[in-house]
Amino acid sequence: MKNYDNFFDETPFQTAGPFLHIGCSPNSIGINNIFKNDLGVLPFEKESHSNFISISGSVFDGNSEALNDVMIETWQCNEKGEYIDGQGFARFSPNAETKKFTLRTIKPGIVKDLDGKFQSPHILMSISSRGINMNLNTRIYFEDDDLSNDTTLSIINQKDKINTLIAKKIDKFNYIFDIYLQGNKETVFLDI
Amino acid sequence: MKSLIRRNYEKQPIADYPDYKSSSLRAPKNKNIYIPSSISEISGPKFDKNIIGKLDNDLTLNYSHNNKIPIGQKIIVHGKIVDQYYKPIEGALIEIWQANASGKYLHPNDQSNVPIDPNFCGSGRYITSSDGSYEFRTIQPGAYPYPNRGIEWRPMHIHFSIFGKSFGQRLITQMYFQGDPLIKLCPMINSIPNEKAKKSLISSLDLSLSETDKLLAYKFNIILRGYNQTFFENRKEGL
Repeated sequence: MKNYDNFFDETPFQTAGPFLHIGCSPNSIGINNIFKNDLGVLPFEKESHSNFISISGSVFDGNSEALNDVMIETWQCNEKGEYIDGQGFARFSPNAETKKFTLRTIKPGIVKDLDGKFQSPHILMSISSRGINMNLNTRIYFEDDDLSNDTTLSIINQKDKINTLIAKKIDKFNYIFDIYLQGNKETVFLDI
Repeated sequence: MKSLIRRNYEKQPIADYPDYKSSSLRAPKNKNIYIPSSISEISGPKFDKNIIGKLDNDLTLNYSHNNKIPIGQKIIVHGKIVDQYYKPIEGALIEIWQANASGKYLHPNDQSNVPIDPNFCGSGRYITSSDGSYEFRTIQPGAYPYPNRGIEWRPMHIHFSIFGKSFGQRLITQMYFQGDPLIKLCPMINSIPNEKAKKSLISSLDLSLSETDKLLAYKFNIILRGYNQTFFENRKEGL
């Protein structure tokens, strides 16, 4: 086995800034005449799944202020643990007034990884905004799943840090997942 | 096993960069925790080419009303999306957004006292062809003032968002213009600690296009992460 390390550098990131909706979800700010639909509005067709869940939360800055100018993107598998073309991507922002976001999606299944090991159900999340020079990546896990053998969580290996990645269950269909950019509840962000 | 080439943070912007005030309350204090690529990171959303309308990559026409064209200098911005081995990436989704010729964004968050252009919204998108190439027609964006350490000026720039083949390749960046004297004063670009990396965000004037007798062209190539290339039993994997 040989590694090839002659490669170019990845292009550097820059902040998405405060006006990212113009490019990423123009319909959401009233630019309605150019693209038919904003991308990522529905991660799965609603008709085909009876078991939609809601994950709600806010993104808090270092002053514990909830932000409404962030863009959140998520990527996940279906309930069988399969990543499928044309499904599983969502893009949304917190509500301008309530500063809360809600992701309506299906609960992902257990994922069989390339090495044959199993990952607990999870959703990848990327956060972009003014003041964030490089998108922040994290994962959502679920309180009611067995998380004891998950590779990613075992690397993090600290209970209070792992807790920042676990959505709290309110009832059968509703979870809460808040994101803290700073402070003693700072969310774990991942170098993926 | 397929895995992404590990990200080199020495060539990426510093998250908590005091000269860029907005980063102070939004940059996490802890370092990102490295996790090896799983199937979740090396898979990603695919976008069908048929979502792209005929004018989606022509910002000089896609918001035109009553056949009127936007004010300002018309330009071409073009280039290729490649991976770290310079292999073209087909099917990459590029979304761009920018200010108009006066330096105004068509966005409720832009409260500046600068005119909007009724025929320009500053939004475009494209999906790359088999050679990874893309092209936009647009208007040269204006520089504009914004509050930072007092009032400062952003250099002329276009925002780029790119999805390649996987969620781990996701990139959001900004393209600048060759020769703009505001570039070296900009704390956002200066948050990148490496000179060569900074320069890679500056597009170059490209007089090779046949249409440069009508409009100027700028070239901007973008490199997304590649996958580690390893040989097993003389068979290439991850290509």
